[in-house]
Amino acid sequence: MRKILIGTLAALGWAVASVASAATGTVLRDEKLLTQPSATAGVAGSVARGANVTILSKDGGWLRVTAGKTTGWVRLLSVRAGAGGLGGAGIGDVVGAATTRSDPTRVVAVAGLRGLNDEQLKQAKFNADELARMETHGVTTAQASGFAAQSGLAAVKIADLPKPKAEQSTSPWGGE
Amino acid sequence: MKTKHLILAALLAVTSVPASAFDLGKFLEDRVNRELNKGKPAQTAPEQSAPAQPPPAPAQTAPVPAQTAAAPQPAKQKVDPTQLGFALFGDYSLDEEIRIGRQIAGNLLGAVPLVRDDTLQRYVNLVGHWVAQQSGRSEVPWRFGVIDTEAINAFAAPGGYVFITKGLYRMLDNEAELAGVLGHEIAHVTKKHHLKVLKQSTLISALGQAASRKVQGSDPAVQNLIGNGAEIMARGLDKSAEYEADRVGIVFAARAGYDPWGLPNVLQGLAGLPSGDNRTSLLYKTHPHAADRLAELGEAVGDRFDGLGGRDVANRFYRLR
Repeated sequence: MRKILIGTLAALGWAVASVASAATGTVLRDEKLLTQPSATAGVAGSVARGANVTILSKDGGWLRVTAGKTTGWVRLLSVRAGAGGLGGAGIGDVVGAATTRSDPTRVVAVAGLRGLNDEQLKQAKFNADELARMETHGVTTAQASGFAAQSGLAAVKIADLPKPKAEQSTSPWGGE
Repeated sequence: MKTKHLILAALLAVTSVPASAFDLGKFLEDRVNRELNKGKPAQTAPEQSAPAQPPPAPAQTAPVPAQTAAAPQPAKQKVDPTQLGFALFGDYSLDEEIRIGRQIAGNLLGAVPLVRDDTLQRYVNLVGHWVAQQSGRSEVPWRFGVIDTEAINAFAAPGGYVFITKGLYRMLDNEAELAGVLGHEIAHVTKKHHLKVLKQSTLISALGQAASRKVQGSDPAVQNLIGNGAEIMARGLDKSAEYEADRVGIVFAARAGYDPWGLPNVLQGLAGLPSGDNRTSLLYKTHPHAADRLAELGEAVGDRFDGLGGRDVANRFYRLR
């Protein structure tokens, strides 16, 4: 009896935790839902751009999501967290404002906290003392390398990412 | 190079005749237009104003005679050829780049001071410098600072001055996320995004004043170039520059050995914030929405980071007190 009770409580606790950690998201491009967080894994289903998903967990560059009745893994960069829909502008404002918590791993947003605005920046006066303070915190190449090595960080060779095709013709920033 | 000197010599000759001050403005305008159109197939004639580049507004040329008149000793004022160099040709030397960045950084710090936590500042400099070492610009004296505002944002000024707000720092979960954010800002510096903006806009207005090369406090000539205070940080860049900084910055962080998903995780956190959050108002005035940045980054990354390891270094991450 006691065991059953504990089991029930544990299950309840798990259920509560699951609800609390469920975050919503929107799929940013047509994607397959995979059975494992790997490009070579089997296909469990598919999701279309704009579809709403529930984000269950994360593993490296992958998110485990539920879309309708299907659950599977999708690339982290193929989903946006939050209730704002596909893009930054538009309907997201209304929906987003009503959302107090969409990702449990993050600080809960408190609307109303005063931020930095452009007028403050425009009126800003040069502060030589603060700048001098900033300069004193600078470190050398040797110090930074030693610090990196302490945590086992080592430089890796990785190629530059290409500019996506859609952007190539419109950028005013010229060649790279 | 010889032409450059010849033109500078010509400019200096012209400036010695006060009556021709307005003609100087016109001359500079033409010179600038030609400079901006250099490399384009149809080279415009010197007298023509270039069609592709709108001629500077009258307000931009006006400061030249006005400031000359307002200067205490206009007759003795000399024009610094180096200053002309960076105003006209846009090919800023490292010294000039640092001089511009220093002024912007000093102004930004005038609006928001550093967080008074030396351990935090030191930690951010160590992480930032290590990431910057993967950027290929080792000649830049990189400096990083956490500034004391709850606004969620990060800034970069030319010459290696990088800032992250306390509000954004608070959202971070591990060192890889910090590295991702700093990588984005470092990319703005290595790609010289702000310098390109300056090159495109306020070329002529820097001419009115000749400043000494070594300035301890505020640098009037550079201030003239960058506008009011640190407003250049509020104007923002073209969104393609932001997407480029995401693409380049994520690679810098990955090259430093960090989990490459640091920046995407931070963008996910931003995307999850309610859009009415005041702390992100300036961020979204100057940056595309996090959802668009994730989509754009996804196009570039695709499967390229599959199988890439990397550390998130969560255990060492410095938590704000």
